[in-house]
Amino acid sequence: MNKIWTIVSIASIAILMYIDPDNVLAHMNNAAAGTVSLMIRLLPLYAVWMGMMGIAERSGLTEKLARLLKPFIKFLFGEVDEKTSRYLSVNMSANILGIGSAATPAGISAITCMDRGGEVATDAMIMLTVINSVGIQLIPPTTIISLRQAFGSAAPFDIIIPTLVATVIPFIFAVMAVKILQAKVKR
Amino acid sequence: MNIEVYILPALILALLIYSFIKKIPTYTSFAEGAKAALKLCADVFPYIAAIFICVQLFKASGLSKWLSEALAPVFNLMGIPPELCELILIRPFSGNASLALLSEIYKTYGADSYVARCGSAIVGSSDTIFYITAVYFAGTKVKKFRYAIPVALLANLFSAILACLIVRFF
Repeated sequence: MNKIWTIVSIASIAILMYIDPDNVLAHMNNAAAGTVSLMIRLLPLYAVWMGMMGIAERSGLTEKLARLLKPFIKFLFGEVDEKTSRYLSVNMSANILGIGSAATPAGISAITCMDRGGEVATDAMIMLTVINSVGIQLIPPTTIISLRQAFGSAAPFDIIIPTLVATVIPFIFAVMAVKILQAKVKR
Repeated sequence: MNIEVYILPALILALLIYSFIKKIPTYTSFAEGAKAALKLCADVFPYIAAIFICVQLFKASGLSKWLSEALAPVFNLMGIPPELCELILIRPFSGNASLALLSEIYKTYGADSYVARCGSAIVGSSDTIFYITAVYFAGTKVKKFRYAIPVALLANLFSAILACLIVRFF
């Protein structure tokens, strides 16, 4: 992460200093401003879903969900403690339903629960990151469908099946790859 | 057609009714949960800012265009149209930037063109790897992600190849 960031930044700034030196700082400031507006847009979503999570937690529903998903959690993440498995099951369910803004806080809570202060990511942390990066949404991507509609598509729904296939098969590939690498690294 | 608009409200309604029956203090539980949202955003902000600044420079310098042109023959070999190279390069960094690129593709080639449909499937079936990694580990001291990013990138590339292949049949 540090390496990629440094290399891309150095190369980009060097080119920009040659072609457009006046705007180097403006670009950086704009990006930071974009981050602020993204956070302002995400904060209410997080507040709503984390609030609902608070209720679900208190009512014991997340615990029930975790018990229901226990076989999957155990297969994917190995032995995790009870609290972690609750967050993991919320993260997975939210992902499948396509509620990114509910999946993210649950995923972060799961990572925080698994964290023992080390500098190296554990197997379970890696599995969680990979699963979330690959995307396991089973509900059609509504943002994209409505974007296509806005641009005058005659059949905005025809991407649903390709998207689903391109989600599920790479997901299985990624999980298997992580499992194989875990076994290899162990000994 | 739109059943999915009912799913989330129904889920929330069911949660509230269940909690009411179980006599849970819903109001305070909600507030307690939502309280952490502000801290989450504060934790995550510097990491996202760092990524966004990098992506912005990457695009503004023309480096992303240049790199996607350089990579186009490789992608072409895998069945990915060269018009989508930049989208695939930006996708792991930022969801917004990739949606902006996707809109541009819709505008240039038409929303029902092969390229546009491939692009839609690619964006729909992948996620922002660097963004997610940064956000998930923001609250920890973890610095070494081992094979997490290579595996995720490879899986997303595989997903892009698959998407371009399958879109032909629909």
